[in-house]
Amino acid sequence: MAFDLEVNGNAYSVEADPQTPLLWVIRDQLGLTGTKFSCGIAQCGACTVHLDGVPLRSCRVPASVAVGKAVKTIEGVSLDGDHPVQVAWKEFDVPQCGYCQSGMIMSSLALLEKNPNPTDAEIDAEITNICRCSTYHRIRQAIHRAAELMRA
Amino acid sequence: MSNSALEANQKDSVTRNRREFLAVAGAATGALVLGFWVPAKQISAAEDSGPTWYENPEVPELNAWVVIEPDDTVTIRIAQTELGQGVWTSNAMMVCEELQCDWSKVRPQYASVNRDARESAPEWTLNVMGDGAFDPIGGGEPLFRGREPVRGIPDSLYRRMRTNEASSVRDGRYYLQLAGAEIRERLLLSAAALWDVPVIELTAKDSIINHEKSGRSTTYGKIAHLAAETPHPNPESINIKPPHEWTLMGTEQNNIDVPAKVTGQVVYGIDVRLPGMKWAAIRACPVYGGDVSNYDFDAIRDQPGVNSAVQLPIPDPSLLRGRTFSGSVAVIADHWYQAKTALDKMTIEWDIPSEFAASNTADMHRELVSVMAEAGNVHMDQGDVEAAIAGATQTLEAEYSTPYLPRARMEPGNATVLVTSDRVDIWIGDQSPQETRRSASLITGVPEENVYIHLCHLGGGFGRNGNGPQAEQAIMIANENRGTPIHLLWTREEDFIGTTYRAMGVARLRAGLNADGWPVSLEVRTAMQEDGFGPTSSFDTASRYYAPNYRFSSHSTKFHVPCGTRRGVGQAAHEFYRETFIDELARAAGKDPYLYRRELISRTDLPHRDDMIRALDLAAEMSDWGTPLPLGTARAIALEEKGVEAKGTATISAMVHTVSISKEGQVRLERVDVALDQGFSLINPLSVKKQIEGQIIWFYNDAMHQANTVVEGRIVENNFDQFSISRIKEDPPEINIQFFKTEHWMRGMGHDRATSVQSGISDAIFQITGKRFRDLPFSQHDLSWG
Repeated sequence: MAFDLEVNGNAYSVEADPQTPLLWVIRDQLGLTGTKFSCGIAQCGACTVHLDGVPLRSCRVPASVAVGKAVKTIEGVSLDGDHPVQVAWKEFDVPQCGYCQSGMIMSSLALLEKNPNPTDAEIDAEITNICRCSTYHRIRQAIHRAAELMRA
Repeated sequence: MSNSALEANQKDSVTRNRREFLAVAGAATGALVLGFWVPAKQISAAEDSGPTWYENPEVPELNAWVVIEPDDTVTIRIAQTELGQGVWTSNAMMVCEELQCDWSKVRPQYASVNRDARESAPEWTLNVMGDGAFDPIGGGEPLFRGREPVRGIPDSLYRRMRTNEASSVRDGRYYLQLAGAEIRERLLLSAAALWDVPVIELTAKDSIINHEKSGRSTTYGKIAHLAAETPHPNPESINIKPPHEWTLMGTEQNNIDVPAKVTGQVVYGIDVRLPGMKWAAIRACPVYGGDVSNYDFDAIRDQPGVNSAVQLPIPDPSLLRGRTFSGSVAVIADHWYQAKTALDKMTIEWDIPSEFAASNTADMHRELVSVMAEAGNVHMDQGDVEAAIAGATQTLEAEYSTPYLPRARMEPGNATVLVTSDRVDIWIGDQSPQETRRSASLITGVPEENVYIHLCHLGGGFGRNGNGPQAEQAIMIANENRGTPIHLLWTREEDFIGTTYRAMGVARLRAGLNADGWPVSLEVRTAMQEDGFGPTSSFDTASRYYAPNYRFSSHSTKFHVPCGTRRGVGQAAHEFYRETFIDELARAAGKDPYLYRRELISRTDLPHRDDMIRALDLAAEMSDWGTPLPLGTARAIALEEKGVEAKGTATISAMVHTVSISKEGQVRLERVDVALDQGFSLINPLSVKKQIEGQIIWFYNDAMHQANTVVEGRIVENNFDQFSISRIKEDPPEINIQFFKTEHWMRGMGHDRATSVQSGISDAIFQITGKRFRDLPFSQHDLSWG
């Protein structure tokens, strides 16, 4: 069946089973492949997107849940990479393989939007995404740097 | 961009015939975008005889590695796969160093696997840098390995297209520097001819050629077309720069593809989209060596989007370096989630080999322990170990074990394949494309010269062989569906079946100490399954710690779990055994574990002995070794090395781990001090630091959390709920890295550093709790104290 989604400020009409996870609608129907599939059980966070500003793991959320809400994906943060979180990520050369980084950035952005100056403990509590390359050391530095840039 | 708009964009690109197009909406900006070709005739099977990889056919390449555009953009071909190790940047730096082009205008691009099948490397490059060639200052030689039956080193166009053993810099540097140097020389010759001046009067820097005498200058972009037609008269005379002349190599450079990784625009294999493409989900028999006996496609035939199903045999082990995976069934649908949903509903009956049906890791562990009692394969037997132990003041014996471990990269296995009557195209993140090219040819009957592999970035590597049969399965499905591009994607659970494992291992170490606490005898037995990349490399043939009587034997048996070269390979388990045992000896002797190691290494005659001591000294100094720590916190030191028994390449490091354990048993790696050999130079020290940071957590996970068990022949932990991976909260707050220079060329940095986290946490647990655990991971034990 057809339903409407708003993703990164754009309106889309999607023809799919509304129980299809939002991740697969975003990747395969809308062609926005920056959001990644990895575990499929809402553990790793590679599929993290925002729904009305709240981060969620889109591999386990039916697309129908997003109807009438604003979806934001990595492509909606900034395609030029000039958002402060992306700028900080580049400054610390955070990514290795990069596969988890869209989700990491979406989780970090959600944290920074509600908490402009997170402590290390708050980062530990809020950033529960998996990075198998273990770029955590630089992610933490980059979150603090992004916080500075966003406050400036 | 909508799906239809994306397809329209793609079709437009296709009609422009060979112009690059990008698979991801909105990605077509700037020099940092990763792109790939869609063959012009990907739907029709028309003959394609022209060049296949040129970025811009109007601009001729200068050699197989480099194209210089009129605007001075320099495209550098990368023959390794970027999987987070920074090879797109380090390989490009090696070419750019010699080419002396403007680094800010360098754009990497994957080398053509197809051309590698068709063309050979120039003869003069083989003589300079093949097997046995030495670095200009005597720093070592590349460790090219034989690659029969796959064509490649020493003579194919891009030579070594595999990505493994942390060896991309080690083995690629010679011919990559040479590729850049040749073009620089030809650009200078072209400018000299143009201006009719002696070439020796010209200088080249940042893509600009100057003739100081006449004040003339030009750019690489302006004369590249002349250089393309100017062969070097005597290429055998070209020398590469020795390290003291490097200006770019050895400096910290941000990774060139990071900007695309923070905007979601990098194309991984999973992101490939082609017009007319169908998706495949697959289920393989969960017991290796098992096959499909029956499946009920009729029950799901009418599910939404479902097209067909195909049964695949057990992939030919000869295509997978001898490994036996499983037979499988794939469902093909319009979208992957449709294929996966239908497959979940389909009944499949398995034919499971009876000899594996009841196998489990507890029995396998017992079998490994029992084979250690057999004669085994004796690699070293120096002096009389038994007599020396009998005469020792004190004897110690310890048995260690390490579990099966997967790579568990973030990107699940996948490949997109289009087979037509005369051509195969594969889009894949692949660490061995030359071997995949051969697989494609053998499965489809299409000659390798007509196999086109379009390399994508990989969402993590951690061991080349771990890719399993992702390509072979996709090729088999596409071969049954000729003319239709098929994108196979594994679920996470399937990825745990399709990967290879680091073999489970055990070791028994015995030592006799004299009255002063020094070893008079050391006996080591290790056991692993025989295809486990460990039996011959799971300990040292020449002991790193001196004992006048030394014996090492390896023992093996057969198990059905396919094993491969996981990050750290044999070194990870072997250094856990060795370094933990040395800590146990030092504590039994009542000596400081740092000074104990230092003394025992200094008594050897190993060629890299002094550099091992330097590593230990520096790590100890960095960590304030010996200064007081709070209750519940301890330091442990360990040596990590590869190759110190022979002159030539080696990598040496020492680390001090500061670990706290709460009374409830919560372990925290607080601080890591790293002293790391940099040989005579690193290429990109920033990438090395990132690799070290990552490996600290990699081996922290091995030490604390990770194990795969086998029950009824199948791997139990098959997703991240059961297979634990640490999050940011477990990252050590402090990591200090210092490099020290040595005179040898490096083995590599990306896979066997930081193995010492394992022995370090083991010894910290002992210091704090008084308990000694010898089997990983430690989280299975009660670590509480006080």
